[in-house]
Amino acid sequence: MRNVVLGGLLLTGVAASVPAQAQDTVRIGLVQPLTGSVAYNGKSVVEGARLAVEDMNAAGGVLGKKIELIVEDGQCTPANSVNAVEKLVQKDKVVTLVGAFCSSATAAIMPVAQKYKLPLITGVSSKASLTEQGNPYFFRAAETDALMAEAFAKILANDLKLTKVAYIGVNDDWGRGGVEEFSRDLTALGVKTVLTEYFDHGATDFFTLLTKLRAAKPDGVFVAAETQDGSILVKQIREMGLDTKVFGVGSWATADFINLTGEAAEGIHAAVPYASSMDTPRNQAFVQKYQAKYGIKPGKYGAAGYNALNIAGQAIARAGGTDAEAIRASLAKTSYEAPNGVYKFTDKGQAYGFEAVLVRIEKGEPKVIASTPVDAPH
Amino acid sequence: MDLFPQFLANGLVMGVFYALSALGLTLIFGLMRVVNFAHGEFYMLGGVSGWFVTNHLGLDFFSGLIVVAAFMAAVGWLVDRFLIERVRGQGEEPGILLTIGLSIFLVNGTLLLVGPAPMKVAGAMAEGPLFFGPIAVTKLRLLAVAVGIALIVGAHLLIRRTRLGAAMRATFQDPMAASLAGIRTGHVYAATFALGCTLAALSGMLLASIYSAQASVGGLISLKSFVVVILGGMGSFAGAIAGGLLLGVAEAMWGGYVSMGMVDVIGFVLVILILLFRPQGLFSIRTERA
Repeated sequence: MRNVVLGGLLLTGVAASVPAQAQDTVRIGLVQPLTGSVAYNGKSVVEGARLAVEDMNAAGGVLGKKIELIVEDGQCTPANSVNAVEKLVQKDKVVTLVGAFCSSATAAIMPVAQKYKLPLITGVSSKASLTEQGNPYFFRAAETDALMAEAFAKILANDLKLTKVAYIGVNDDWGRGGVEEFSRDLTALGVKTVLTEYFDHGATDFFTLLTKLRAAKPDGVFVAAETQDGSILVKQIREMGLDTKVFGVGSWATADFINLTGEAAEGIHAAVPYASSMDTPRNQAFVQKYQAKYGIKPGKYGAAGYNALNIAGQAIARAGGTDAEAIRASLAKTSYEAPNGVYKFTDKGQAYGFEAVLVRIEKGEPKVIASTPVDAPH
Repeated sequence: MDLFPQFLANGLVMGVFYALSALGLTLIFGLMRVVNFAHGEFYMLGGVSGWFVTNHLGLDFFSGLIVVAAFMAAVGWLVDRFLIERVRGQGEEPGILLTIGLSIFLVNGTLLLVGPAPMKVAGAMAEGPLFFGPIAVTKLRLLAVAVGIALIVGAHLLIRRTRLGAAMRATFQDPMAASLAGIRTGHVYAATFALGCTLAALSGMLLASIYSAQASVGGLISLKSFVVVILGGMGSFAGAIAGGLLLGVAEAMWGGYVSMGMVDVIGFVLVILILLFRPQGLFSIRTERA
């Protein structure tokens, strides 16, 4: 054991004493789950990220060099994500980190980024407490559930004429957070809660849960679930013959979700930070490029990867060098024009200013029915 | 109380699905005594190849089912001849390690080839609800239950009534005596393993048409199938059905009257109770292997 520790110290010493060799590229490290239960969504982030890097390199790169994206698999687990970051820092000498997908994994790599004094941007992890830890190197270019609930509770309650709502969420930090935030804001508007239930990741049969839902007779059901669980759940709601209004958060306004859910997706509402049908010239150009490259329209996570990498690239360009402190300072001054509005960061590193949308799925397309800028949290 | 009929119906449907997905394991773990941790991955391969033949080769559901059965039988045969054969007769641990390795290989191979996205297997019929009084089911679920029962009965008859079945039973009771009696035990092992694989894959494709196929579904299926086999008793088809129904109904009642969030715990609570009070399982034929 002592030998291992000594060896580790020696290696670190050697690594520190060798001056970083002049690289001919600017390296950005990306940690995403590429295997495991959310590998599918992680892959979308990577696709978006690669597109952003390609764009920036086509425009001449940054600091006169090409950007090189190095992707590592964090499997959505804290331990593997930390290993991935150590490798990216020690071996690849990246200048900025982007990742990880799951909030618990991101929470684990935040102290590592701080230890190495490297800026870390996440485009996905939405657990509210991440930006409350006072880590100056951490930036979240994503919405939190609290922000989404605040933005849409009123529109939902009025547009769908909700009086009694049932809440169903996946049994993890994110699902429970979503259910809590939305039920709090809807209850404040006088909407009654008739049922709250959680199910485990990877559950396939919801008939028992839906039997309870049928008995509770809600006029709307809120669902916090990702593509696979959500699509099966929505399908089975229709298979049970229920015609209650469905709305929710998660990667719902995506081509894959609609394809998996089929006709049952018609008429459901989703509150999302991004939809491919958002009607801005910048977004239309993005959708066209994404579709040309991957043959599918971008969803929430494709856009998240694209935005996070663009924010990182622009910050490095503004910093005028690869010094981590300079990059961190220029990240804080971000004003990035994304396909979905303008991203700025608060002092705590929480993004605001971008548009979030409420979509309704009509004829297999997510149609934007309301759009509102996400305000800085108070 | 008015919810009870629907909970019971849900539980029974799920129970048949559990029995169906555990059938293959009843053979491989129950009869051959190979602790097969790759069972869920064979199930997953059934769903993924079902997606491939219906979506990319344009076959209808039932022709697809036959093609998948033939393909997975070949896979099972090869796995037994080239992998399981090498650790046979060396106790359980090498088999456990081998099948854990195989399951990791199969999951990641599938991720590499078709990616992590959930895939839809085109079903045999439409998905609208059918109502029997207060109970809602779908045609597709009823079809899956019917096919499931047919497969269970078919496998039972194969083991009990055919020459191959007799050879299987003889081989697993006493391989040495069986081979002295002129049974080609190597082929019997491979045929049993192939049959177990095929059953797992058929249930995978059938259930993927109701839910969806995905590279990562195998782990949970393996766990639930072990629960069903242990509840029912090793190697017993009646036991697999009883174990499946017990698990399905228990989960539906717990989920219905208590909480959905902890439903996966129920199976393991049942296993602990069974091991404490009736360790041979509900239906086990009480014979020890020579």
